[in-house]
Amino acid sequence: MREAEAGDAPRFLDRLRAGEAAAFEELVTMYQHRVFGVALRMLGNAAEAQDAAQEAFLRAHRGLAGFRGDAKLSTWLYAITSRLCLNRLASAERRLVRHGEETLLRLADEGRRPDGALERSELEAALHRAIAELPEERRIVVVLRDLEGLSYEEIAKVLDLELGTVRSRLHRGRADLKDKLERFLP
Amino acid sequence: MTCHDARASLSAFLDEALAPDERREVEAHLEGCAECRRELERLRQTVALLHRVEPARAPVGFVDRVAAAARPRPWYRRAAAAVFLPLSVKLPVEATALAMVALLAVYVFERTPALQQAAREEAPRQEQPKAQLADKLGRPEPSARRFARPAPSPTPRGEDRRDALMSRDAHAPVPPPDVSVPAPPAPAAAPPPVAATPPAAKTEALSESKVGSVASPEAENRQKAAEQAARSLATPPAPRLAAKRAQPTADVIARVAVKDRGAAERDLTQLIARVGGSETQRREEADSTIVEALIPQARYAEFSESLARIGPWQVETERPDLPAQVRVILRLQ
Repeated sequence: MREAEAGDAPRFLDRLRAGEAAAFEELVTMYQHRVFGVALRMLGNAAEAQDAAQEAFLRAHRGLAGFRGDAKLSTWLYAITSRLCLNRLASAERRLVRHGEETLLRLADEGRRPDGALERSELEAALHRAIAELPEERRIVVVLRDLEGLSYEEIAKVLDLELGTVRSRLHRGRADLKDKLERFLP
Repeated sequence: MTCHDARASLSAFLDEALAPDERREVEAHLEGCAECRRELERLRQTVALLHRVEPARAPVGFVDRVAAAARPRPWYRRAAAAVFLPLSVKLPVEATALAMVALLAVYVFERTPALQQAAREEAPRQEQPKAQLADKLGRPEPSARRFARPAPSPTPRGEDRRDALMSRDAHAPVPPPDVSVPAPPAPAAAPPPVAATPPAAKTEALSESKVGSVASPEAENRQKAAEQAARSLATPPAPRLAAKRAQPTADVIARVAVKDRGAAERDLTQLIARVGGSETQRREEADSTIVEALIPQARYAEFSESLARIGPWQVETERPDLPAQVRVILRLQ
């Protein structure tokens, strides 16, 4: 966890459920980077990630009254965000757009390849590309575990999966990344 | 434990997410397997690389945008959105709906003989006053026309007039006998107010009376036409005049549905000859043949009966008081 879960104080939850605008703003302030981060890694495009993150918070806003508090707020928000991103990725329209983006990304990369000064940014680009190329169901597990730091149990809750499934998807995702990033390993 | 099993658990082993006994098994395997140790090391380095990825940061102003989007709109804005706002969407949708309803109405009317029948039954009731009006305006009495019959050589102008009538009838998109409107059949189609153009009125009136009765002297017609024109100039009862002009010169106009036009034309020629009538005109069009004929009133019943054998026919106009020589226009299609 990057931050303490201060947002789960019962008093804060009551304010949220009562529809207090200031409480909702606090919630967005608290979780904006995490929600945006998941959306960015999953969708691979900042503008689309911002749109998805905003929609995730608006869905949360509509659903707050029904939030029972039996899961952590963060888990609940991750669940909303993950489902939203996976749905977007599954839509046919998005598939077409993504295909175009990947082509552009590849072309841009090829244009600036062998430059020693860009070594670090080259690693970053390779990391991003390797994550982006993972199959979606592996990617979301890797993002939640290795970038967002969730536990296996939390990931199982967020994605509504068996613990064993989380484990095997994470392992396959990491193995894929290991192969793709071979040349950066010492 | 095989290498395959061990490798499947290496990721969880790194995360210390294995049950104690599972963990011990993996550790035991790793001690004796350099390959798997190497594999574990690569995996650890890969995860370390992933941890170097900078956490993403939401763009500046994100919180404000989300908060603004979440704020409920005031009630009047919501009401306006529901009623007025999507005008750019609403208008085309409404226009399309209107056009589709209109098309549907025409389609249903064309497809439902019962409706057309109903529309025709309306017609005679309204024709009564029109006929009276026509008489007042100097239309020749049917009795006068009785002597006028064989129209041996209708004047070219009369001919034109009938042509125009027939083609107007042929090209009318919707069957002219209106479903509900007792107004003149096509006031929009023939609107030029007679009052405004006396010469036109004169010609029309002239040719009309000529078609009706060639026997009446030309001079008398002219005089009648002049009187009529004068009357219309004095009081411009445009709709009434339009109604009068739009009235067909034929006594009966009917549509006959046939399968084989050629055969139907031959049968019709024979039928006309059999009942002692005479064909005065025939015109071929792309989808129909228009036949105009004079049938003696005494044998009109027989004629209509036999006509039904050629094909199902539908009367579009039928004058209530049929003259001695019934002028019939049939459209075979």
